[in-house]
Parts: sequence; structure tokens; C-alpha cells
Amino acid sequence: MKLALSVFKNCISTVFDSSDQLLILETEDANGTKRTTVRIDATDPAGHAARLRDQGVAVLICGAISRPMQMAIASLGIAVYPFIRGTVEEVLAAYQSNRLGQAVFSLPGCHGRGNGGNSRGRGMRCRWRQTGGHER
Amino acid sequence: MKIQRIPKPLPFDPESGQNIILDSIADGVFTVDQDWRITSFNRAAQEITRVSREEAVGQMCKDVLKADICEKNCCLRMTMKTGKPIINKKVNIIDADGRKLPISISTALLRDGKGKLLGAVETFRDISVEEDLRKTIQAKYSFEDIISKNHQMLRLFDILPDIASSSSTVLIEGESGTGKELVARAIHNLSPRKRHPFVAVNCSALPDALLESELFGYKAGAFTDAKKDKPGRFRAAENGTLFLDEIGEITPAMQVKLLRVLQEKTYEPLGATRSVEHNVRIIAATNKNLEDLVRQNRFREDLFYRINVFKIHLPPLRERMEDIPLLIGHFIGRFNILQKKNIEGVSDEAMALLMAHRYPGNIRELANLIERAFILCKEGRIEKKHLPDFLFAANASPDGKIAASFRDLEADYLQNALRRNNGNLPQTARQLGIHRSTLYRKLKALKLSPND
Ligand SMILES: Nc1ncnc2c1ncn2[C@@H]1O[C@H](COP(=O)(O)OP(=O)(O)O)[C@@H](O)[C@H]1O
Ligand SMILES: [Mg+2]
Repeated sequence: MKLALSVFKNCISTVFDSSDQLLILETEDANGTKRTTVRIDATDPAGHAARLRDQGVAVLICGAISRPMQMAIASLGIAVYPFIRGTVEEVLAAYQSNRLGQAVFSLPGCHGRGNGGNSRGRGMRCRWRQTGGHER
Repeated sequence: MKIQRIPKPLPFDPESGQNIILDSIADGVFTVDQDWRITSFNRAAQEITRVSREEAVGQMCKDVLKADICEKNCCLRMTMKTGKPIINKKVNIIDADGRKLPISISTALLRDGKGKLLGAVETFRDISVEEDLRKTIQAKYSFEDIISKNHQMLRLFDILPDIASSSSTVLIEGESGTGKELVARAIHNLSPRKRHPFVAVNCSALPDALLESELFGYKAGAFTDAKKDKPGRFRAAENGTLFLDEIGEITPAMQVKLLRVLQEKTYEPLGATRSVEHNVRIIAATNKNLEDLVRQNRFREDLFYRINVFKIHLPPLRERMEDIPLLIGHFIGRFNILQKKNIEGVSDEAMALLMAHRYPGNIRELANLIERAFILCKEGRIEKKHLPDFLFAANASPDGKIAASFRDLEADYLQNALRRNNGNLPQTARQLGIHRSTLYRKLKALKLSPND
């Protein structure tokens, strides 16, 4: 299975729509993982999505993403973890141990799935949902 | 027993006091410390980004703003580095709901009373409404990069797709610089031939023999220097479009050849024994009136009718002055992108000069004027001083004749300006950039009255 992270330097790139680098991880056997970096040169949702599909990506972890972009990618059956932040290594570790849902890995304003704690109800909570296959 | 001192409450909480002020501002405002961490975040900022103040304060500004420039071209970093503010830069952000918004941002340094650097402040405005409006206006008055709101041109926009979908020959008439080649390319781009080449040939640039080999190519041995076969422009344009510019300039002999090519859809490369079939759409252009040339027996009537299946007439710029501001905006936008500049527009005075000119070179001339002004104008708006001297004098004579004396020039210039402003003296003076009393004095000296 191929996992893609949208990256800038050693972090998740803040805005996926304008990012141009993907780190792709491919699990080869029990403990061997191959890492490759590819460039995305597209700027439109369809182009980005096609690039991910061409790479055979099944899961994408990325920063802020526009709805049309997220929909284009999800429509190809790719699971998207959107509005994530952090260093590549921290995010990978969190993904592997099912902790990506923790607030520290969410961009400000974007955490709150299942978090009804904010009483002011100003509509500032994030209304994104993870899309695609891998609901947790 | 010690008496506990209860701190006396201040008349207002300095922090919330600051928030009240910031919150009353319609623009989004936030401040950062020197590590790019947000230190304050006003109400409008919350509304635009959909991130609450509690979540924003203490966070890196890029994570909160989520703009396309944050990682590679951070404006605050630029301002901290150069000390210079950035004003109204257009960027796109993604709000916490995944909505992409165009915003306009400005930045400045933040110093304490002693001038010590504290951080920076960024203000931003949601410009999605303006952007939508701008795009709608642009879409309405532009067609495949052809900009116009002139009624003749808008009618052309309407029929252009139909002209494009047929494969008939088209004749485009218009003075030099009116956009003939631009329209020809648009027809090609809208046509089913768009994936094939668009080839332009200027028929006036070459003598007959060369034009013939240029168009049709030659076979090895056709003449002394012809060592190898050379395909011509017809071959290069196969399945596409051939643009024959300055068609009015071709010789009678060439006219005969071209007529045959159009009628029989075949041509003969020089030195060839067989003719070659072609599938090329011809668009011809001329800055002459071909009908006149036919009347003067300088252009074959039969060829004229072959070419003149669809005729498009492009009006000179002086007959569509309403397009000048639109075109100026278009060229400024284009040169801003090409030259990575941020010129904001033209001053009223400069616009008045540009509107008064006759443009013998039409749109090409206007584009050149703006390009030249870009060399002189570093930032802000294009002013009078960025325009060439001849505009100040030449635009004075409405009939394009060279005026007899400086006195006549000036009189014409003032009269034109007055006419444009319906005889309103203060407005005319303002537009000319001279004092009202100077204008009165000049009019008196020239024996002119505002209603001449
Ligand atoms: N309506 C228009 N909108 C935008 N640009 C134009 C327009 N008409 C002409 N131009 C520009 O002016 C220049 C001259 O146009 P061109 O098509 O070469 O004119 P012509 O072939 O009639 O001499 C080109 O740079 C072209 O892009
Ligand atoms: Mg031309």
C-alpha cells in the first residue's frame, strides 16, 4: 500500500492546494519501507488527483485543502487525512499508532471532530470530515 | 496578621480594550512576535479564517492563515527583512471549512515607543466579491484575450465561434495594430483545427519568387541552391490554419497562383512534377480596403470573392475610445505579471493624455506606451511624467495634421480638454494638472472661451 504525505522541508506542507512535493511511502515487506519524493506540477484539483492516482497512492495525509480538491481526490477512492500539521516523523508515528486525530496534529481551527466541548457555538469548529475509505 | 493587598481594578482591562478597538475594524488584523507566533487576532480575522481567537493566539501565523504564499514567499518575513511594508498583495487562503478565498494583505513592522522591534502586523480583506466582479466584467468584455466593450467588437465575439467552426476562408480588414492576428489566432483556437498548427506568413515581406517557395516549398534541384526538398508553409500548416497577412500586397502573378490553390485545394512545390493536396484553412488579413484595390484593378476580383467569404472589420482604436481604459488595465495586468511588478493603474492626468491621443498605431501603440511607462515607473501609478513627450503635443490636433505653431497646438490641446469636460473649467484644470487660474490666463491669452 502506498501512503503519501504532502511535505515542505521536513513538515507537512501547510496548504496542499499550492504544495508541490509528495513523500511517498511504500511498505515492501514486514519492516522494509521505501521512501520516494515526487513533484506535483499541477495546480488544479483534477491534475493533483490524477498525479496521486498515477502514483498508486491509497492514503493522503496533507495540510489545509480546499473542498473541490478534497472531493476530486476522494472521488478516486483515495483516503484523505486533511488539515494535518507537524513534522513528517511525528505525523507518521501518529498515523501508525492511530493518534492522528489528536488536537496537536490539527491545524488551528480544524480540530473538533467529535469535540462538542466548545460551548460558544460560533461556528468556528471545523466541519471537515475525513473522506474516503479509511474511516476510523 | 498581614493585610492582603487587593489590586485595585483598572478602569478598563488594557488587553480587552485593545481588542475592542481591533474588533471594530472591518479588516482582519493580527500581530505576530518575532517568532511568527500570533499575539493578537481580531474579530474580522476570525470571520475570514474561520479560526477562533483562542485557537489562533500563540500559533504560528502560517498555520492559522493557511495562505498559498506562507511557506515560500511569506510577506511578514519579507517585511521583517526589508523593513518595508507590503500593501494590498493578493493571495489565496483556505479557511478552516476548506473554502478557498482570495484576500488582499498588507504588512508593517511593529515597534515599541523606543523603536525596538516587537514583531509585525498583518491586515487582510476578503476580496472574493471584488474578484468575482472583476472576473465577470473581464469575461464579458474579453474573448480569447481580445479585450473590448465596443459594440462592433462585442458583435464579433458573438459570431466568432460560428466563424471558427466552419472551414471557410476569412478576410480580416483593419489598420495595423488593430488585432488582426489576435483575431485570426482566436478563430484558430476556437476551431476544430486547434490541435494543429497556426502558421503566419507576412506576404509583403518577401519578393514573389521567395514568397512562392516559402508558401509551397521546393523540390531538390528546383534551382541551383536547392540541395534538398524543403517543405513550405502550406505543408507546415497541414490540418491547421494558414494566416496570410498583408494579402493586399501580393503581385498579380501570385494572385493567380493563390486563386488556383484555393479553388483546387492543391499546390505545386517549386520543381515538382505533381501537385499536392492540402487541408489548410486560410485566414487572410489586410490593412487596405480590398474592394478599393479591386476597383483600381490591383487585386483580382475572382480572388477577392474567394477570400471574402466572411469579412471581419476591426475598427481603429480612435473609433473605440471606450476601450482605452479597459485595454490599459489589461496591459498593466499583463506587464505586472511578466515583470513581477505591482503598478496600480494610471493617474487621472495620465489617463486624460492617453484618452486624447489618436493612436495611428492602434492597440499595438497603446501597448508600447504602457510598456515604456513600465520602464520609468517603479511603483504606484503611471503618471504624466512616465509618458512620452509627443503625447503632450501631438494629441492636440484632432485631425492628425501637424499644427502650424505652438500656439495652435496649445489652443487645440486646451479645446480638446475642455470638450472632454463639457466646458467645466475647474475639472479641466484638474485633469490637465494645472492651476485653475493658469487655465483662465491661458484661455484668455489664446482668446478662447470654454464653450468653443
Ligand atoms: N482587443 C485587443 N485586446 C487586447 N490586446 C489586443 C487587442 N487588439 C490588439 N491587441 C494587441 O495589440 C498588438 C497588436 O495586435 P495584432 O493582432 O498583431 O495587430 P495587427 O495584426 O492588426 O497588426 C498585439 O500585442 C495584440 O495582442
Ligand atoms: Mg500584424
